Amino acid sequence: MRGYGLALSGTDSRCFVPAMPPIFSPRRASPSVGNSQVLFPKSTRNPSLCVRAKAAVVNEALVSDAVEISFYDLLGIPESGSMAEIKQAYKQMALKYHPDVSPPDRIEEYTRKFIKVQEAYETLSDPRMRALYDRDMLGGLHLAFSARRRGNNEEMEVKSGWKSLWQDQLSGLRRRSMNKDSGASMSWGARMRRQRDELNDDEDEV
Amino acid sequence: MAEPIYTVASDSETTGEDRSAPIFPEIAVGIDIGTSQCSIAFWNGSQVELLKNTRNQKIMRSYVTFKDDTPSGGVINELSHEYDMLSGAAIFNMKRLIGRVDTDPVVHASKSLPFLVQTLDIGVRPFVAALVNNVWRSTTPEEVLAIFLVELKMMAEHQLKRPIRNVVLTIPVSFSRFQLTRVERACAMAGLQVRLMPEPTAVALLYAQQQQQQAVHENMGSGSEKIALIFNMGAGYCDVAVSATGGGVSQIKALAGSPIGGEDLLQNTMKYLLPNVESIFSHRGIDEIRRMGLLRVATQDAIHKLSFQSSVQIDVNLGNGSKLCKVLSREEFEMVNSEVFEKCKNLVNQCLHDARVGIDDLSDVVVVGGCSNIPKIRSLLMQKSKKKALYEGMNPLEAAVSGAALEGAVASGIADPFGSLDLLSIQATPLAIGIRADGNSFIPIIPKNTTMPARKELVFTTVKDNQSEALIVVYEGEETRAEENHLLGYFKIIGIPPAPKGLPEITICMDIDSSNMLRVLAGARLPGAHHPATPFMEVKMPTVDDGHGWCAEALHGKYGAAMDLVSLQKKS
Repeated sequence: MRGYGLALSGTDSRCFVPAMPPIFSPRRASPSVGNSQVLFPKSTRNPSLCVRAKAAVVNEALVSDAVEISFYDLLGIPESGSMAEIKQAYKQMALKYHPDVSPPDRIEEYTRKFIKVQEAYETLSDPRMRALYDRDMLGGLHLAFSARRRGNNEEMEVKSGWKSLWQDQLSGLRRRSMNKDSGASMSWGARMRRQRDELNDDEDEV
Repeated sequence: MAEPIYTVASDSETTGEDRSAPIFPEIAVGIDIGTSQCSIAFWNGSQVELLKNTRNQKIMRSYVTFKDDTPSGGVINELSHEYDMLSGAAIFNMKRLIGRVDTDPVVHASKSLPFLVQTLDIGVRPFVAALVNNVWRSTTPEEVLAIFLVELKMMAEHQLKRPIRNVVLTIPVSFSRFQLTRVERACAMAGLQVRLMPEPTAVALLYAQQQQQQAVHENMGSGSEKIALIFNMGAGYCDVAVSATGGGVSQIKALAGSPIGGEDLLQNTMKYLLPNVESIFSHRGIDEIRRMGLLRVATQDAIHKLSFQSSVQIDVNLGNGSKLCKVLSREEFEMVNSEVFEKCKNLVNQCLHDARVGIDDLSDVVVVGGCSNIPKIRSLLMQKSKKKALYEGMNPLEAAVSGAALEGAVASGIADPFGSLDLLSIQATPLAIGIRADGNSFIPIIPKNTTMPARKELVFTTVKDNQSEALIVVYEGEETRAEENHLLGYFKIIGIPPAPKGLPEITICMDIDSSNMLRVLAGARLPGAHHPATPFMEVKMPTVDDGHGWCAEALHGKYGAAMDLVSLQKKS
C-alpha cells in the first residue's frame, strides 16, 4: 500500500490520505482494533467500554505504526464521549506518549504520536471543530480533515513525490536529531532517563 | 550506543561514600534565580525540600560582589551590611540584563542601579562593570549568572554529597529564544546541563501535584479537571499562566509575560520621593553610588512596610546635607505605580482570553513571587477573578523552585511509591515564531501557546518574476511588524526555478523537538513538480550571535525587497 511508512511522520494528516480506505492492515493487532478502521464506527463501537480499557487497546495500534485511525480511536473514547472524557483521555495519553515520560529509546516515535494525540484533542475539545470533524467522518472523509481545516485544497498533491520527499526529509531530520544520543541535541529528559536506565543495568550485572 | 559524556555511577563510587547506601542516579535539582532572590530545591525521596546556606537561609540574595578581585555571590558571601551590596562592587538584577541589547528600555531602566550599565544605543550588548578598588571592572550578565550558579552547585554538592550536573532552571515567560541561549551559556560555564522551565509552569506543576495528592487522599480517583490562573510577579518579571490540571497532568493553555516587577515599583517610588533622582546620580562618583544605595534601601524598606500598614515614615540622610523626610501612604504608592498595576491586569486579561477560559471556569487563583504580598496585586486578582480568596496551598516564595525540583525528579524517571511523581507538565510556546513576509509583516508559523513538541508549516511564494532567491528571516514575538520582534536568524533559499511571480511554492516548516530545539526547514518547487528544485535547507535556530537587531536592517539595506516572500493565497 502506498506510503504507510510515511503515515506518522508529521502532524499533517494530509499525507495520511490513502488512495482508498485501509480496510485491512496486515499488522493489525486485534479485531477490536480492526473495528476502528471502519469509516462508520458508530455501528461497531461499544460505547459502554470504559475509557481506560479502550485506550489500552488503541495504544497497541498506535505503536504498531501502520494503522490510520479516527481521532476518537486515537484518544480511545466513544464518539458520544463527553468533554470530560476527552480531557481525561488526552491526559492519560499524554502521560504515556509525552517525550518527558516516554522511554528514552522511543522518544522519536512517541513524540510523533503525542503530536497526533494533541491534534485529536485540539479538534475534539473545540465544539465547532468537533462538529465539522463529525460531519466529515459521516461522509467518509475524516482522514482529510486536517487538510480541510487548514484551508488548503491539496489532498491530490499528497500523492506527489514532493510530499513524500518532504516528509522523508522531516522524519530524517527527527531521526538524526534523536540518534546523536550523547550529544547536546538529545532531549534533556531522555538523557537523564537513559542515564538512569544504564545505571540500573549496571546494578543488575553486579 | 554511545556513552554519555558523563556518568554518575563511577563518580559516586570514587567518592568512597558509604557503600551500604544505594547508588541513586542523579536527580536533577530545581533552581530559581530571580532578579532579586534565589533558591535551590531537590527531591529528597518523598518530597521537595529547599536547601539552606550556612546562614540557614532558604531564600538568598541574587548578587555577585567583585571585591578584592575574587568574585563571590550571595549564596556563601555574608554582607556585613546591606549597604555593602550597594557600594558599586556588587552586580545584581542580572536577570533583567541577560541577553538584552543596549537599545532595550529594560537595559536603560537598569542604568540607575548602583553599578555601571553603559549603553551606546546601537543595538549591541551593554557594558556592565563593577567598582573594584576605584576601577570599573567589566563583566557580563552571563559571567555573573555563572558565578552564582557555581556557588549554588557547590553548596548543593556539599550538602547532598553527590555531584550536581543536571538542573531545571526557571525563567521568565517573556524571555526570547535568544535570551535562553545566553542563560544556557551561563549554565554551561558553570558545568551544568539545564532544562529551562517558565516560572508559572513550574508553579502549575506544583499545583498539579497538590491537587493530585488531595484527590488521592479524598479517594476521588483522578478527579475532574481544574483550571488555575497562576500569577507570578517578582522583582524583574511578571508572568501569567492558565493551566488545566487533572490526573497529575498540568497542561499549559496560555502564557503571558512582561519585564515588569518590583524593580519598576521601586524605581517609580524613588522618582516620586526624589524627582531629580536621575540627575543627582548621573556621574557615578563613589559618593553618588553610596547615596543612590541609601535611597534604594530606604525605599525598598518602605514598600515592604506598605504591604502591612497604610503609611510609612521615610527618613534617610543622603549626605551632602541633603535629607529626605517624608510620609508615604499606600494610596500614593498605588497612584505612582498605577501603570505597572494596569499592565499586570492586561497580562491577566490577555492570558485568560488566549486560553479561552471564562472567569467562572477558574477553580483557583494562585499568586506567587516577591510581589505577591502587595495588597493592590491581591485585590486586583480577586476582583478580576471574582473570588473572595486566593489559593493558600503554597509558599509564594518557594513555589517556583519547588515546581522546578518536581520537574527534575519527574524527568529523571524517578518513581515514587505513593504516586507523588506521577506528574507531567505539558508546555506551550510563550511566543509565536514565524518569518518576515508580505512586505514587512511578521507571519507566525508556530503560533503563541502551541503545545510542544510541535511542527507546523506554511507555504509562501515569490514577489518578482523569475525570482531565484528568497531570504528567510526568522523572528519570535507577538508584534505585527517584523522588526519589532526578536530576531532569531536568517538564511537564503537559492535556485528557485524560473517562473512568473506568485507561482513557485516555498514551504517553510518549523519544528520544536522534545528538547525545545527549534529547526526551520525550507524547500522550493513549482506546483505539480515531483521533485524539489534544490536541496532542502535545514537550519537550527537561533543563529544570531548577539541578538543584533540591526542584522535585519543591514539585510534590508543591502537587498531591499529583491528577495522577499509573500504568503501563498489559498486557492478557493
